[in-house]
Amino acid sequence: MSTETSSAIALTESQSRSLFEKEFVPHLDAMYNFALRLTNDEDDAHDLVQDTCMRAFRFIGSFEPGTYAKAWLFRILKNNFINDYRKKSRGPSKVEFEWVEQSFAGDDDPEPAFQADLKAETVNEMLGDEITTAIQALPVDFRMIIILCDLEEFSYEEMAKILNIPIGTVRSRLHRARAFLKETLASYAEKKGYKTDMLSA
Amino acid sequence: MKTNCSHQSDCLKLIQRILDKEATAEEESTFLANKDQCLPCKEGHELELALRKALKSSCHSKCPSSLIDSLRLKISSILLLILLLIPLFCWFI
Repeated sequence: MSTETSSAIALTESQSRSLFEKEFVPHLDAMYNFALRLTNDEDDAHDLVQDTCMRAFRFIGSFEPGTYAKAWLFRILKNNFINDYRKKSRGPSKVEFEWVEQSFAGDDDPEPAFQADLKAETVNEMLGDEITTAIQALPVDFRMIIILCDLEEFSYEEMAKILNIPIGTVRSRLHRARAFLKETLASYAEKKGYKTDMLSA
Repeated sequence: MKTNCSHQSDCLKLIQRILDKEATAEEESTFLANKDQCLPCKEGHELELALRKALKSSCHSKCPSSLIDSLRLKISSILLLILLLIPLFCWFI
């Protein structure tokens, strides 16, 4: 409690309250969505967003109004997830994450050898649930970067800061994540018989 | 229309940079002017657009109002605690 006290003391009560309403509340839907995609669990997402907001609030006195609060909050959320929630996460996602770190951590890794044979029409025909399942099946590093880029529309530079990786790694990780997603969707489409006639071998 | 693209991997990267708003205006206009002459590039562009659209329409959830209320309550209690602690602290010294 002392940290909260000492840093929030720099602002008056009404200033703190209005900063919270103005800078935090507009991003809560996006933060909750990100937390839910990372944890795959509503209760964990709830706790993760709550912890992130309280952690950010401790430093609200040092927040400069006018700077991009969303990127700042997402960075805290991601750090919080890596430090606290990943430890708690169940076996498979941990293995998944380690596998990604080993296989895709470097910029010098070879390009994905495959390009999934997937057509826009097939994607358009898929149901929302099928897309969500494919996203959830991605290794967490890939899921994270795809959500930050395609859903939240952060720039490469902002993603580099949020994820604490060089901008070159942002580019290569995104490219690999998308190749992985397309491959997952293509094999799913084939199994389900979506436009199989259009999927040439 | 070309049915084979000799630099498909580079084109795909460019398509992604264009949709991510990270390409220069020149790169974008050159690509858009030429994409209809190359089938793999045209289809690649359509697929990337379809994927983004599908993600946007299927992967969103709203923050529960109970969570927003609980955050407001927590913040109010911290602020109240500060208001109480300051006079107490002053009184002690």
